[in-house]
Amino acid sequence: MASTLPHALYPLIRKLESVTRLSDAERQAIESLPVRVRTLSARQDIVRDGDRATQCCVILEGWACRYKFLSEGRRQIFSFHIAGDIPDLQSLLIPLMDHTLGTMTQATVAFVPHESMHDLTARFPSIAAALWRDTLIDAAIFREWLIAMGRRPAFEHLAHLFCELYLKQEAVGLAGEHRCPLPITQTDLADATGMTAVHINRVLKEMRGRGLITLYRQTLVVKAWDELVRASEFDATYLHLQRRAAG
Amino acid sequence: MTLRLQPVRVATSSEDSDGQLVFVDGFLVAVLVHLSGQHGANAGMWFLEAGFGLTAVMSAPLFLDVDAAQDWIERHLGTKRITAGL
Repeated sequence: MASTLPHALYPLIRKLESVTRLSDAERQAIESLPVRVRTLSARQDIVRDGDRATQCCVILEGWACRYKFLSEGRRQIFSFHIAGDIPDLQSLLIPLMDHTLGTMTQATVAFVPHESMHDLTARFPSIAAALWRDTLIDAAIFREWLIAMGRRPAFEHLAHLFCELYLKQEAVGLAGEHRCPLPITQTDLADATGMTAVHINRVLKEMRGRGLITLYRQTLVVKAWDELVRASEFDATYLHLQRRAAG
Repeated sequence: MTLRLQPVRVATSSEDSDGQLVFVDGFLVAVLVHLSGQHGANAGMWFLEAGFGLTAVMSAPLFLDVDAAQDWIERHLGTKRITAGL
């Protein structure tokens, strides 16, 4: 089911515009990329550790994550991805995958051939710079996860992650009023934070008990944003978000 | 290898407070905690709250009862000892 529908890549444009500015010509160039749109089921690998990638995957709807399996079924999740993200952008320059990208929920994705991405970035160095900026912000997020994994106690760690996931979704118009989708399990949270599901359960109960959040039917509601920010020493600088009002 | 249990209350900042210290040949090797009702389907299972030395693993399974936990600890220490001896 090949598709070249205009604006299929709107989520990507919205994402890039949350971290940089695009001209009309740049927007049109992105919109004219050839894409294959697919709907994938939940928990389906998109590209696996060891694969040699030939295309990039843009998330259009749903959630994905990057992860790696260790022995005895242990899994580390490196990052969560939402609509507009290109989680395997690095494969454009490093095609050999050193981790796996998979869906967490049912997801709609667009595949763009590497050669089309190379052509686009050669014709528009400013788009190459925008993608580079996005990659650098990705690295900044990894640094924050590293700090959390190594130095933050469980409560602070999870609170920090919730602040991040809310703001990332708010920046692309998928969340507002301190309410956002959180379609992931306690086991996913455990695999992303290096905790056990038992610890996640305890921390969530404590957060609820202190009136900071509710988490019901895959929706996170932050009832006390300022307090959650304070409790996790959250500073959004590392997300390098552009104010949408500023255009 | 002789395992010995000693009941203990554990401050987990949750409703899970009923625990057992596990000693092997007099050495503390693990703290087990009985999961409370707040854990839904996992309530009643036993959780490796802390492991010391060879049981200091990042992720252990949940155990149906204390016997299963002791089996795991014995197996784990035994396996590790063989590996360490190679």
